[in-house]
Amino acid sequence: MEMFTMDFMVRAWLAGIVMAVICPLIGSFLVLRHQSMIGDGLGHIAFAGVAGGALMGFQPVLAAAVVTVFGAVVIEKVRTTLKDFSDMILAIFFYAGIGLAVIFTSLNHTGGFSLSSFLFGSLMTISGEDLYIVAALGLFTILFVAVLYRPLQYLAFDETSAKVAGLPIDALNLWLSVLTALTVALSMRIVGILLVSAMMVIPVACSLQSAKSFSGTIFGGIAYALFSVVVGMILSYELNLAPGGTIVMVGTACFIVSLVRRLCGGRK
Amino acid sequence: MNIIQVENLGFNFGEGWIFRNLNLEIAQGDFVAVIGANGAGKSTLLRLIANILNPTEGGISLYGKRLSEFREWGKIGYVPQNPGRQQRNFPISVREVVKLGRLDGRSMFKRFSQEDEAAVERIIHRFSLEEIQGRKIGELSGGQQQRVFLARAMVNDPELLLLDEPATGVDPDAKVELYRLLGDLNREGGKTIVMVSHDLELAARYARSALCLDQGICFWGGVQEALCHRHKHGYFYR
Repeated sequence: MEMFTMDFMVRAWLAGIVMAVICPLIGSFLVLRHQSMIGDGLGHIAFAGVAGGALMGFQPVLAAAVVTVFGAVVIEKVRTTLKDFSDMILAIFFYAGIGLAVIFTSLNHTGGFSLSSFLFGSLMTISGEDLYIVAALGLFTILFVAVLYRPLQYLAFDETSAKVAGLPIDALNLWLSVLTALTVALSMRIVGILLVSAMMVIPVACSLQSAKSFSGTIFGGIAYALFSVVVGMILSYELNLAPGGTIVMVGTACFIVSLVRRLCGGRK
Repeated sequence: MNIIQVENLGFNFGEGWIFRNLNLEIAQGDFVAVIGANGAGKSTLLRLIANILNPTEGGISLYGKRLSEFREWGKIGYVPQNPGRQQRNFPISVREVVKLGRLDGRSMFKRFSQEDEAAVERIIHRFSLEEIQGRKIGELSGGQQQRVFLARAMVNDPELLLLDEPATGVDPDAKVELYRLLGDLNREGGKTIVMVSHDLELAARYARSALCLDQGICFWGGVQEALCHRHKHGYFYR
């Protein structure tokens, strides 16, 4: 196929596949803990990181990663300290992220910085360096979940009992937050800041319509994400559409089909 | 031997004291029903003993060690309030829920062994969960769910069970069966049980002691005395 003869498309495919594995892997824990919107909140903070990095002359992806991880750690601390207000606190972080991003962008008069490629994703901007960073994150995330699968499952299912069991739930929560932040920051090249959390939520939502086990939800989510990325990238290339939007809309179509299948005689 | 020691315990949610200066010793082999009106601090006391909440003042020791130094969580089995109802759509089978109990008190890096599988198998058989072990937890009735969570708490063969209103949302027949099961675990299995309950009559048939909370301890003694006390003085609750 013609698209594979171009280096930037090969890099985009590889990065897309890694993203399709790690987004639902982390997303499964977020969705099942009723934290589906946290990826969105972190996306807004990543936006501030990108804009701030560009303004101050830092590599935007690394700046976004540092700022998003910092934001995730603070959100997690506030969430555990002010449990009753966690929803409100998350919303405030949303707005502060957007507010900072708008200020940084308005101050940046240097040019040469494509904000839209971060907001909506761009296949052409994925460098070899980006690919290595995304691959390293992917490997670390897979190892993290594989080694700590049962404790993480316990944490997602019943955090209180996991605490009584003597598991270090504060540390596990913090690591999950950091990995979520890194996934958001490093996946934004492909689907864009505004849609990255969709890849953490939609494939898992599709999988939940039929999954009977926790591992089934994770593997099903990865399968749906891979399908969305493959079909979405082919469609975006052939029809000249924005890749992020196309991938997310393929995922949304999958969700509608899986939901209808469940409602029309499928298993509850 | 006292396995739970509560000294001058006080807890304040920030809107006034739930209780203060609470002193209590629970001996090995006891089966304590913790009763009291809503808001009296029954679940709070249990959550303090389980180290889920931190006391505002005073302290708790388990097996002679302060909670901050206690590490043998495998000795404790805990069933939270309404665990199944909170996670109705969670994709997890009954067998997986029971298996999670094998993590209690162990390193989080330890892999499950044949011994763990055998322990899960034994407890599934003991709690008659064979036929439903592959079903999702959210598909079960309240009584079945409580049996599963009790099985999870028991899969490590703990010495102490902390149960937070285990009969909530359970139909009357299943409630009697649950209490009978707890009675057997206490009398035949030698388990120490501390259970928050709203049902003194039923608890009186199986528990050994009753602890009534109302801004502190308003009654602490044998379960039959608790019934007599209520007969003479009216209900404990204001």
